[in-house]
Amino acid sequence: MSKPFFESEFPSTVEAMGPTLDRALQALAARGWIDASQEFYAHLCLEEALVNAITHGNQGEAFRKVLLRMSEEDDRCVIRVFDEGRGFRVDEVRLAETDQHGGRGICLIKFCMEEVYYDREENCLVMKMRRNTLSKQGSVEQ
Amino acid sequence: MSEASLISFEKHGPVVLGRIEAASVLDAMNVSHFGAELTAYVEANAGVRLLLDFENVDYLSSAVLTELLRINKKIAETNGGFRLCSLNRDIRKVFEITNLDKMFVIYDSAGEGLKKFARAIEIEAQEDAWEQMNRDT
Repeated sequence: MSKPFFESEFPSTVEAMGPTLDRALQALAARGWIDASQEFYAHLCLEEALVNAITHGNQGEAFRKVLLRMSEEDDRCVIRVFDEGRGFRVDEVRLAETDQHGGRGICLIKFCMEEVYYDREENCLVMKMRRNTLSKQGSVEQ
Repeated sequence: MSEASLISFEKHGPVVLGRIEAASVLDAMNVSHFGAELTAYVEANAGVRLLLDFENVDYLSSAVLTELLRINKKIAETNGGFRLCSLNRDIRKVFEITNLDKMFVIYDSAGEGLKKFARAIEIEAQEDAWEQMNRDT
């Protein structure tokens, strides 16, 4: 794993998440991983992953920490979101029926990222992306 | 301290236009405020035909989609109607990825939405009257 270009830890609340999210987006733009057209999708993936770690991973318990780490590995940006939960299998998350709640955040991440999985040994969600491809990556499920 | 209003509501004939004016970003940070405002309006106006205008919204996350589904259900329970308009290209794509473009009627603009929503209400009323007449004869 190469040296991270961004790292931030915060307690499990959405209020505490805000500054980390803002700085992470700035870092992705500054390193050339996203241009203006990709900012929406980067914001979406980071927010969905961080909220997932807060609410599902850490069960919304503020004393538990979430850590966001981003590094450059070969020609991909690797985003890791660490939580203190039990983890889950990304491929088992299905898009909710239209009138039901849940599952949409991970499905949006799967649409945008080249690769997504939960690393149980490290306790983190791993998202891998190439430069400026977030809005073009997936196909819409029918 | 009370929070500033995110949505303004304006009656246009049979349709109420809800404009999201005070937030260009709808995310996990303000979704509960957004949901509470919509809920309060819908509970005070049973049967409302609400067109929610996203003209000023640049970004939304899945937490907001969940809130929209909850409001849709709440409005349907009082025989009202809930439609959306003026989604930007990226937000529209979020609806498509999550299949919610099939759940909601979405118009390109508020003007189109007000006109077509009002027409849909008119047709619904005519059909109800026709059914009633058939039952009576």
